[in-house]
This record gives sequence, structure tokens and C-alpha cells, in this order.
Amino acid sequence: MEFSEHIKTANLEDVVLRQPLHPPSRGTLCITGHHLLFSDREEGCSRQVLLLLKNIDAIEKSTSGSSGTITIKCKDLRVLQLDIPGMEQCLNIAYSIETLSCLDCATEMYPFFYRPSDFGLQEQWGLSSPEKYYSQMKELHDKWRLSTVNRDYSVCPSYPPAVIVPKSINDDSLKKVAKFRQGGRFPVICYYHRKNGMVIMRSSQPLPGANRKRCKEDEDLLQAVIHDSDKGYIIDTRSSQQAMQALMTGGGFESKSCYSRWKRLHRQIERGKALQESLIKLVEACGDESHNMDRWLSKLENSKWLSHVQAALSTAGLLAECVERDGHSVLVHGSKGTDATLLISTLAQLIMDPCCRSLEGFLALLEREWVQAGHPFMQRCAHSAFSHARPQQESPVFLLLLDCVWQLWRQFPLAMGFSEALLLRLATEAYASNFGTFLCNSHQERWAQGVIKKTHCLFQTLLRPGERDQYCNPLYESTELAIWPSVHPQSLQLWRGFFLRWTQQTHHLAETQEKMRDMVIKWEKLALS
Amino acid sequence: MEAHHRTAIPSIQLELRFDNQPIRTLTVQHVTWSKFLLWLEGNRSTFSHGRIALCGLWKPPPRAMASPVSVYNSNALDTHISSTSRESLKMELLSDVSLLPGEERIMDKDVMYMCPYNGAVKGKVLITNYRLYFKSSDADVAVMLDVPLGAISRVEKMGGASSRGENSYGLDITCKDMRNLRFALKQEGHSRRDIFELLFRHAFPLSHGQPLFAYVTQEKYEENGWNIYKPIEEFRRQGLPNNKWRITFINKNYELCDTYPTVLAVPYKSKEEDLRRVAAFRSRARIPVLSWIHRENQAVIVRCSQPLVGMSGKRNKDDERYLDLIREANDTTKLTIYDARPNVNAVANKATGGGYEGDEYQNAELVFLDIQNIHVMRESLKKLKDIVYPNVEESHWLSSLESTHWLEHVKLVLSGAIQVADKVSGGNSVVVHCSDGWDRTAQLTSLAMLMLDSHFRTLRGFQVLIEKEWISFGHKFGSRIGHGDKNHADQDRSPIFIQFIDCVWQMTKQFPTAFEFNERLLLTILDHLYSCRFGTFLYNCESARDQHELRSKTVSLWSLVNSKMENYLNPFYTPESGRVLYPVASMRHLELWVTYYIRWNPRIRQQQQSPVEQRYKELLALRDEYLKKLEELQLSDSSPSPRLANSPAPNSSTSPSSPPSQQYTHLHTPL
Repeated sequence: MEFSEHIKTANLEDVVLRQPLHPPSRGTLCITGHHLLFSDREEGCSRQVLLLLKNIDAIEKSTSGSSGTITIKCKDLRVLQLDIPGMEQCLNIAYSIETLSCLDCATEMYPFFYRPSDFGLQEQWGLSSPEKYYSQMKELHDKWRLSTVNRDYSVCPSYPPAVIVPKSINDDSLKKVAKFRQGGRFPVICYYHRKNGMVIMRSSQPLPGANRKRCKEDEDLLQAVIHDSDKGYIIDTRSSQQAMQALMTGGGFESKSCYSRWKRLHRQIERGKALQESLIKLVEACGDESHNMDRWLSKLENSKWLSHVQAALSTAGLLAECVERDGHSVLVHGSKGTDATLLISTLAQLIMDPCCRSLEGFLALLEREWVQAGHPFMQRCAHSAFSHARPQQESPVFLLLLDCVWQLWRQFPLAMGFSEALLLRLATEAYASNFGTFLCNSHQERWAQGVIKKTHCLFQTLLRPGERDQYCNPLYESTELAIWPSVHPQSLQLWRGFFLRWTQQTHHLAETQEKMRDMVIKWEKLALS
Repeated sequence: MEAHHRTAIPSIQLELRFDNQPIRTLTVQHVTWSKFLLWLEGNRSTFSHGRIALCGLWKPPPRAMASPVSVYNSNALDTHISSTSRESLKMELLSDVSLLPGEERIMDKDVMYMCPYNGAVKGKVLITNYRLYFKSSDADVAVMLDVPLGAISRVEKMGGASSRGENSYGLDITCKDMRNLRFALKQEGHSRRDIFELLFRHAFPLSHGQPLFAYVTQEKYEENGWNIYKPIEEFRRQGLPNNKWRITFINKNYELCDTYPTVLAVPYKSKEEDLRRVAAFRSRARIPVLSWIHRENQAVIVRCSQPLVGMSGKRNKDDERYLDLIREANDTTKLTIYDARPNVNAVANKATGGGYEGDEYQNAELVFLDIQNIHVMRESLKKLKDIVYPNVEESHWLSSLESTHWLEHVKLVLSGAIQVADKVSGGNSVVVHCSDGWDRTAQLTSLAMLMLDSHFRTLRGFQVLIEKEWISFGHKFGSRIGHGDKNHADQDRSPIFIQFIDCVWQMTKQFPTAFEFNERLLLTILDHLYSCRFGTFLYNCESARDQHELRSKTVSLWSLVNSKMENYLNPFYTPESGRVLYPVASMRHLELWVTYYIRWNPRIRQQQQSPVEQRYKELLALRDEYLKKLEELQLSDSSPSPRLANSPAPNSSTSPSSPPSQQYTHLHTPL
């Protein structure tokens, strides 16, 4: 992998950079294997812009006479423009950006090259794992066990090596259950509700298919979950019609006759292409700088993004209600069990569990429920809203999660230990990062590529003394109570901090929030000393 | 000692009780003891008499499972009481109503409240000379209503003696504050006649030759809010009079203009007889007078009504010369006249004798700001009410909201004010008017002043702004709100002031540290805009207020506010004296003020409102403690800090140690 072969023009003088929130500036442009570097040559106020090429979603080039213009649209929704003297140079630069921003081999990506001077690679990697969760939750040990049936990833390629399962189900049964679930994602415990001992499990869809196959081990596993209580709920994140259709392609759902003690509830959560299209429409509406703004609310509505937020939050609320209010265990799945399923189980845990709402708790939750649970970050976040490339597996599910968390954060300003800045940072890092945390699609891939040994961990970094202060919520006052969100459209707002991030007003508000946080820290220091 | 204080108490839930009333629950896991004591200290006034108790708390998890969304209780005006014991209900349902001094019970009655959220609720209604109070008799559906009669715009009979169907006979009450109430009564024996008549009489006292409640109440407060605004002091604060502007008492008996205040600031060079001649050429004699002057560049905001140009295109040399004097006062090359109206409306006004300044005004440019009139605003808010009460529009919320145009109107008002502020801060004087100069003009001048002058962003300064630009300059509160008047369809009613408060709220959202007051102040102002408990918003102009001896016979709303200031303070307020705030008036950055417009819907209500308010009070206490310690540190410092001496300039936020709560120090210029 020689990056240099893609770089025909590495350095260029006299380039004009136009970017939001700053006046245009003239300076030197430099392209490296992973970065676009622009340095201002004005005396006295030298400014640098360092942009990960991976952050670039799309570029547009236009040439007129002997000069050209490249418009760079980033995955963090920033739009930059470079005015380049010399047509050939312009085309060279554009070619380099186009090629280098789309490299899809993980080990060629920047996290494998990122070596900050102040800390080494020996630092601890990650915050949480099923093993850690199991060892912390002593209450689990009665009825649940840690299984390493997947230690070589052969049972389920997208699961981590260790998972929590009912004690009465042995590894051989698990292997059989895995064969009956799409992608081998057999039901595992992801949350234990201390107040009443109920659990959340997640999986992929079962595979009864058109001839309605059954799997006794699968039925036994679910039965083992509810042995004491009378029934359980299955929340299927597809409509009942979609679940029926899945039978035709070998998938399906848990039928009433085979799983008599389980009640199925269908709540459709949009994912995949539909969600991607929604994001594109929304970003288009947000970026529409034309004077005709009187249709803004209609455009916002037409993008349907907020309806997706609403569907996710209300389904998570339903799940939490089953567990917390009704006192039943719940299994949640859709088809693959790597997207909407994780979205719902994560939000439900935030609603119910105060431990997930602290800064560490939230990051640990993300690590367990998204990174370890096998959300295919690399596929989902390959492109964002601007790309002209043919859409493949892209889908902003993780962004939708962050938006939903922001809505919770907004409705419960005291309940969360973290700030909006954290959510914004995560939204950026998921698409382009110095860290290895969101690389690859599964635990297995990360292990194979040596991510843990050769890259730095984002979550650990965020918790370092210098960084963590930025991500604390100054109003935080932990509550033991569940935080039930209001999901009426009137209670949901556009996440301006993200979608209108590069406007002066949002920028100003973010600065003000920082100021407020610093104020509280300052008061506490002196007043309580 | 320090270590002792930091010792964490094991994680337990505590309930704080005051006189055996639960005040709040605390989780003593993250709260250190000293933090708690600090909070207690900050609320000392609340707990000054009575016993404080801390009790361990255990709550059984609720079992009901109705909808995936739960409802939180908050302390808004109508409260769904969560813990009412059956015993107390059996004793006397309405015995615990605390009445205001001077408030009298008129009647009570068994009724059914047709609650849009809980269905028919059995209970008792109490009517006093101030309020309508309802409490459910069934402890399972704990519903309470506390509505000032002033908020009622219309009372109607629903159904007839022969109407069929359950609960079809009763009263329909339309309120001015975005809700309606419906009560069902027993069909036999004309059971609603007495309640209808009493309600009608007491909700609309002016239509029945009765005094408004503000004239009946006996409330007493530590502070007299009527003293908050003294026109001459305010002019002095702005640096007036000076060699360009003088104070005139030409209107001291309201002879020049009966809707203006008595004290006016006009160009130094203008003579009293000029003012009279200009008055003849301005609608209702509302001549151009100074509202605000920029300390550094001496640019001014001048307000007035439209010129009486008429169809024939009349001119008035005195008016033209007078406007030129305004321009000259700070050597502005061009005076900008902002006509708040849409161009076509201004033209149409010529037909009724009005109009706008034409080319004959040399050295002046005219800009139309496209803000619609009071009728359009009234209809817009009505449409908004239709989609938020009783039930909120669910499926096409955003496009429905768009079709009310309410936010668009808010945007136009804000962007008009931004233009005014921008012009003035650039050193150019402006004249603002609409038709009569008491609705849109008041919105524009007061919002521009809020952007330009940080004094108006303090708790007291904001009161001055309202007293000055709205009350003293004759915004027709009496007509726009219809205090005590039964004529609910009056075309003069319009939510112009509500729209202004909405604009202020939008600004506080965009600049969370720039305002000393909090959202609760804005809600309180709007509640008492209707309630008729205070004299503040009564009548249309100063002459009418004098005639009705308002200031001697009623209490000011600011008495209530300033006697309990900590309820209305923003802990994050950071004074920045020179800073001009330019909010973004783009639809993308405006929001519907849900906590006001949709506050009656328990499902939409802002979550956890009361813990948030509580937390803000804690932060206020923490901040004050910080300031106290800071002062001690500075005092113990051997060399006295120069900043602590009588420095006239208000502190700016750039100095890291500036105490945010320091009051504005006024500059005194001799008259």
C-alpha cells in the first residue's frame, strides 16, 4: 500500500480555502496519505486546517480558465471550498482526495498510523465487555452463565467471544440455536434489571422459513428465560407484514403456537436504505441556503427523520415499560439483529438504568451494545449524506441512536452525566476517526486486523482527565427513576447541534454551553472548598 | 473538616419534608452533605418557618401499563395532584384552597369536569371573585384546576334542558391562555343558571359595572413594584438630556397626545410649538419621540405613528423639518424610517387618511418590514390553538405548525428588530412606526433595545423595558386583552404582547447566558397579563391609568416578582455590557414555545420541570456562595482590588473573576 502513488501533487501554494464560520484564507494545501492539510500563510495569525480524508463524503470540481474549484462535503456535514490555481493541479488534488478518501481496507486507515506523543499503545483498550458486565452483576450468577461457545467466532461471526446465556442451556444447544437464527445471532442477555430481575435479550430473526421449521433448543432457550414469571414479550422491530414476508425468504418470527408464553409486539423501525434516504433529505433541507425558507417545516417533515426518532424512542419506551412496569423479560430482534435491535435495546437501557447515564456508563453501554455486539460500523458509516457513490450498506443507524439520546438528554437535562459535546464527538468519530474503536464490522474482524494492539481506544481517551471535563454535564444529578421520554412530535426537536452544526448560531450556542459548564466547575471548586 | 464534609453518605433515597409536606426527593449518592446544606441555605426563605424533616423513601413500582409514555407531574398552574389521601378529601374537598387577601368565596358546586385528557372527572368547583378552582373528588383521578377569572374570554351554555346524552348539559368556557374548559352539570332544576350568571358577572366585571379584582385585592409585598420605572431616571441612565436631546413636559396633562406618557425626549432644537404642529400631522398625535440613545455613537431609536398623508398626498414642512432634526442630532447622513407594515398596507392606509413618508423627506430612506397587522396575528394564534388544544396534531405536526404561520410572524418581528438594532449600532438614527405606533412599533423598539442595551436584559431592566415601551407608550393592553370585558369577539383583541414575549423567549434560547431572568418570569408575566390580579397591564394608556388611580389602588406585578427574585433568576447570567445580541431570525433556529403554548397537555409538558427549576436554584445558591468566598478572598488580600472600588463600568465577562450577579451601576448625568 503506497499512498504516494495516488498523490501526484502533494503541495500547492496560493490556494484559497472557504469554510463555514471563518473568512476565506489563502495558504498552502498539502495532501498526505490520510490528511488534507491547509496552512494559512498570513503573518501573525497562522491557522491550520487538518482534515481526515476519511471524513470526506463527496467532492465536486469545477474548472474555469486556468483555475479550478473543489467543493468538499464532509461526513460531519461541513462543506469546504478550495480555489486552486492551475487546472491540472486541481484535477490532481481532486483525484487524490477521491481515491484516498475511499480506501476500504481497515489496516490502511489512519488509526493504524495515529501515534500521539503523550501516550503509548500499551494503554488499556476498551471499557466493557460481556465478561466484565457478568462479573460486575453478581445477581446474574444464579440463573445465567457466561458462555465461550463463540471463542473462535465459528458459531456467530458477528458476536464477541463471550456472551451471557441462561444457565440451563449448554453450549451444544447454543450451537443448534445459532443455526436457527440469522447470522448465528442466538438470543443473549444484554441487560439485567436489578429492581425485578427481568432481562433484555437480543438476537436476530429465527429461521422457520416457508415450511415453518421449528427448533426445540431455541424454544427451550426462551422458555429458560421466563421460568419463574408467567410470560415474556418479543419486540419485533419489523411490521407484522414484513415479518410474514420474511418467511418466504427463509426468515420469520416466533409463532404463537411454538412460543406460547411469549407475546409478540411488532413495531416497525425504519433502517437501511429508507433511513439513509431520510438523512439525505434532511441534510439537503438543512443545507438549503436559498432565500425561500418559508417551507422549512414542511421540508423537515418530509424528510421523516423525526418520525424515525419518534418510532425508535416510543419502541424503546414500550420495551422499558414491559420490563420496568410490567415486570416481564423481553427479547428484541428485527431481521439481522445488528441495527434496529441494538438501537432499541440501548435506548431502553438508558431509560431504565441510571448506571448507563453516567459518562462512563454510557460509553460502556455503547461499547457493549454497538461495538462488541457487532454493529457493522464500517459498512454503515462508509458514506454519509452527500455521497454520489452507489449506496451499498450505508445507513445512519448509529446517528439515529445519538439523535434519540440527544432527545432524552434534552427532555431530562439533569439525568445524563454527559454533554451534547460528547454526542457530537461520537457522531464525528463514527465516520472518521484517529481511533480504532469504530473500525471494522465485528469483534472478529477487529481481532483479525489487530485493532486492539495497533490502534488507540476512543473511549479510554474520552475519559482521560484533560478530555473528560469537556464531556460532563454540569447539571447532572443522578436519579434512580426511569426517565420516560415524551414522544409526541411536539416534544421532539431537530438536533440543531448536529444538523445545523456549521452555522454561526449553533457554533455560538456550543461555546455558550462550554462557558456554562466551566462556570459550574469554577463555582464548585471554590464554594465547596 | 474538609474531609469530613466530603464524606459521602451511603446511597439512599431521602425525602425532604417541610411541615410534613414532601418538598423533594434526594438521592444521597452523588450529593455530598455540604452540597445539600448549601441548597438548604439557598432556599432559606422557603423554609424559614416550620420543621424540616428527612425521611427515607420507598416507592412501590407502579404496575399500570397503559401507553408507552408516562406522564410526569409538574408544578404548573393546574396540577394533577399525585398524592391526595382519601381522608382529606372526605373532610372537605375545598377547605385547603388558599385564597388571596381580599379574595372571597362566591359559590361552590358539584360538577363534572370534562377533562380532555382524563375524561369526565367528578368534583367540586369553587368560584371566588378571583378564580375558578376545581378539584376532583375521586382520588384516583386527581385533577385540579386553578384558573384566574381574568383568563376567561367566553362563557357559554352547552346543551339544553332536553339535550340527550350523558354530560351534554353544562358550561363551555373559552380561555385566553390557550385552553378551554367544559363542565357538565345535572340536567334537572336549571342547575347551571346560578353558576353561569355568577361566573359571567365575575369573569367580566367591567361589563357589569364592577371593579376588576386588582382593585379588590389586599395583597402586600415587601417591595413596591410601581417604583421600578421612573422615566427621568431611565433617561438619565441613557445619558439624557444632553446638548442634542431635551426632556419636555409638554404632555404633562396629556394635552398633546392622550396616549403618550407625560415625560418625552425630543430634539434639543425643536420648540414646543413645533411639537404641536407635528402632532397635527401624526396619527393620534403620536409624534416622533426618543426611545433609546446609543451611548457611544449617539444614534437614536425614535418612535411615532404614521404621518397623515392621505389620498391627496399632503405634506407637512414641520414634520419634515422635525425628522431632519433627529437626523442632525448625531450627524447621520441618512435617517432610516422603518415602517413595520407591508408596503401594500401602508398604501391602503392612505385611503383612511394615513400613509407613509414619501420622497419629500430628504435625507431619509423608508424601509417596510412586512409585519402583518393585529387581525392576522390573532387569526394565526387561533390556528395554533386549534392544533395544540385539547389534542395535539400528531400525524402532520410540522406542516400544520407551518400553516399557522405563527413562527413566520415571530421571525418577521425578530428580523425587523434586528435591522433596527443593526442600523443603530452602526451609528445611524432610526424612526420606527406602523399605523398607530402602539403594536408593531412597540415590538420593534423594545426588541431592538433588548438587543442593544444589556441593562434591559437584567431582571429589573426588563421590567423597565416593559413599563416604558409597552405600558407608558400606550400599547392598548385593555383592548388587546379585553380585561373584564364580555365582548369576546372584539376585533381589537390581539396577542401582540404575547408575540413579543415569544420573541424574547426565542432570544433567551439563543443566548442562554445573556439574560438575568429565566423562563419562569416570562410565564409569570403572561399569566398575569390576563389574571387582573395586578394593575400592571390594565388600561390602554397612562391617562386612563391616572384617571382610575391605578398606581395608588392596585398592586404592581413587579411587587410580586421583586419580592421573590430568586424564583426568576438565571444562574448562568453573565453581564456583558457592550454586547449587542443578534439572534438568528431564521426558521431553522426558531422553535415553538412548547412550555407555554402546549403547557396544559400533561403528555407534552416539559419533562421534569420542577427538578430542573430546583437544580437551577441550587446553582444560584452555589454561585452566591462562590461570590461570597471570592469577596472574602479579595478582602483578605492586602492591596484592595481596584475593581471593588466604585468603578462605574459594569463588569464584562472577559475578566474571569467578575461576579455575574453584580447590578448595573448607573451613570448619573445631571439634568
